[in-house]
Amino acid sequence: MTETLKPDIQARYRQISLVDRIRTHPAGPVAVVFVVMLILCTLYALANPTSFYFLSKGNASLVLRAIPNFGIVALGVGLLMISGEFDLSVGSVYVAAPFGMAFAYANGVPLVWAILFAYSIAICVGLTNAFLTLRFNIPSFIVTLGMLFIVRTSAPYLAGHTRSLVIKLPPDFKAALTKNLWGFMPAQFLWFIGLAIVAYLILNRHFLGNHFYAAGGDKRAARFAGINVVWTKTIAFVLCAMFATTSGILQVARSSKAETNPQLFIELFAVAVCVMGGLSLFGGRGAVIGIVLGAAVLQLVQDVIILARLPGFYLDMFVGIAIVFGVVMNAAVQKRY
Amino acid sequence: MSESQLSADADAPATAVEVPVFEARGISKSYGHVEALIDTDFEVRRGEVVGLLGDNGAGKSTLIKILSGVVQPDSGEFFREGRKVDISTRRKSEEDGGIQTIYQDIALVKSMSIMRNIFAGREPTNALGFMRTKEMRSTAMEVLDKYVRIAGITSPNILVEELSGGQAQAVAIARAVHFKRDILLLDEPTSALSVRETEKVLNIMRELADTGVSCVFVTHNLYHAFRVCDRFSILAHGQNVRHCRKSETSLNELTDIIMTH
Repeated sequence: MTETLKPDIQARYRQISLVDRIRTHPAGPVAVVFVVMLILCTLYALANPTSFYFLSKGNASLVLRAIPNFGIVALGVGLLMISGEFDLSVGSVYVAAPFGMAFAYANGVPLVWAILFAYSIAICVGLTNAFLTLRFNIPSFIVTLGMLFIVRTSAPYLAGHTRSLVIKLPPDFKAALTKNLWGFMPAQFLWFIGLAIVAYLILNRHFLGNHFYAAGGDKRAARFAGINVVWTKTIAFVLCAMFATTSGILQVARSSKAETNPQLFIELFAVAVCVMGGLSLFGGRGAVIGIVLGAAVLQLVQDVIILARLPGFYLDMFVGIAIVFGVVMNAAVQKRY
Repeated sequence: MSESQLSADADAPATAVEVPVFEARGISKSYGHVEALIDTDFEVRRGEVVGLLGDNGAGKSTLIKILSGVVQPDSGEFFREGRKVDISTRRKSEEDGGIQTIYQDIALVKSMSIMRNIFAGREPTNALGFMRTKEMRSTAMEVLDKYVRIAGITSPNILVEELSGGQAQAVAIARAVHFKRDILLLDEPTSALSVRETEKVLNIMRELADTGVSCVFVTHNLYHAFRVCDRFSILAHGQNVRHCRKSETSLNELTDIIMTH
């Protein structure tokens, strides 16, 4: 079947036109919102160069540094959401796994092993989530809500009620993860783009991605096509926890401090980013580019609020509106057929 | 497709001595006190469309579930080209029995593209598990072109939910045929389709049979069955009441058999 197609067959099947692709793409709406926001901010900044510092190198660096924080968590949550499950425990994995790394490193474990320790915590949490959800057929929303609290409280308990841990990481390691390049491009952002490409390759080029979409889109049809839905979702749970751990490690590397105080609501922001990015809450739909743009839009709004010196609660209000709007859009799109 | 091509030829050479592609003998299955199937036989020969007919509760769905490996019979044996086979799981039914079942609602994942659907669970990959997308795309186009020449499917990247019922059914059939099974088991493939789409699906079944792929057509609709089938197997109250070739019967007689049992 690998020989080249006859031209007449090729001619009958056209490529979908670019306009149609953008119109029907799950990330279409968020892409439009992103571009419009970027243009408006740029124009406003050009008109008010002395009061609205949107175009300054410092601001760019700030925004690009902030996006990966929940952007990377959202990549994992998004993969899992496409597979038809939720993970709220990422909020705890994000603090607990890097804390484990810092704790091990502070106690003399070589850095590589400390990092592997962090990821093994992530894998354990992912497997536990998967086992409880899939074995007992419980909504993952509830299972991972429970795990959110369990994991969050277990780290300080096991580490001797330490609340925060200052560590001195090797300078090379720190630089590789967080160095500011050319004055405005933090390395975190490049890692984020790299991980987004990895997520894209998994979803669109790897057979696992096909299984993720199938398991999330229609569990029974997937099973009938010969896909092992339980294994597929288990892998998605584990990947999700690993993405959250990666984001947490970047955060620890930046601040040289591991805390067990949770960063509040990062799991919910991750879900919000995914929904804004056009992923379906019911699974089976979405694209990585939507997650990236969703994270960018969220951070742009935050940046505008800061630059315009508006009160912080505007961000929460925007997120709330964006989630509801995103879900309504999803529902409207799906009703079209 | 002309009417003459559609109707099964009555004067085909006598193939009574030919070994059936698939045969089920003495199948019985009870659910508690309910006897769903009692000592039922069923056979499929190469390149024919067999109509599995019967009213509600006749045992059709139980037989389908057994043939597709979802339900295990209490007794009975299965033979593929004369060789005894075990079809007690979905995988064994497909690989050892050579049967590809197409269920009406769950044949395809609606939120995925045609191409992703065609290869779901059987993606051609390299050693690292990455899909050979170019090959998939060209194969998908070839499959669509070969079996599903239905207007409106202009790209393998269209989502299945954008297709009409008949188009989706055709894609499901194409997907099944591409993976080279002897027998397609179609459970009520036309029940949700418009007249025009029904016609297309019937044509596809006929064309497949002519290329050597046998079809089992499970339906309530005797008109559809009579249009396309070479042979009929009629169940009533879990038992065989009639096996016959198309040339030996008529639409009226089939209706009578089902009504009177």
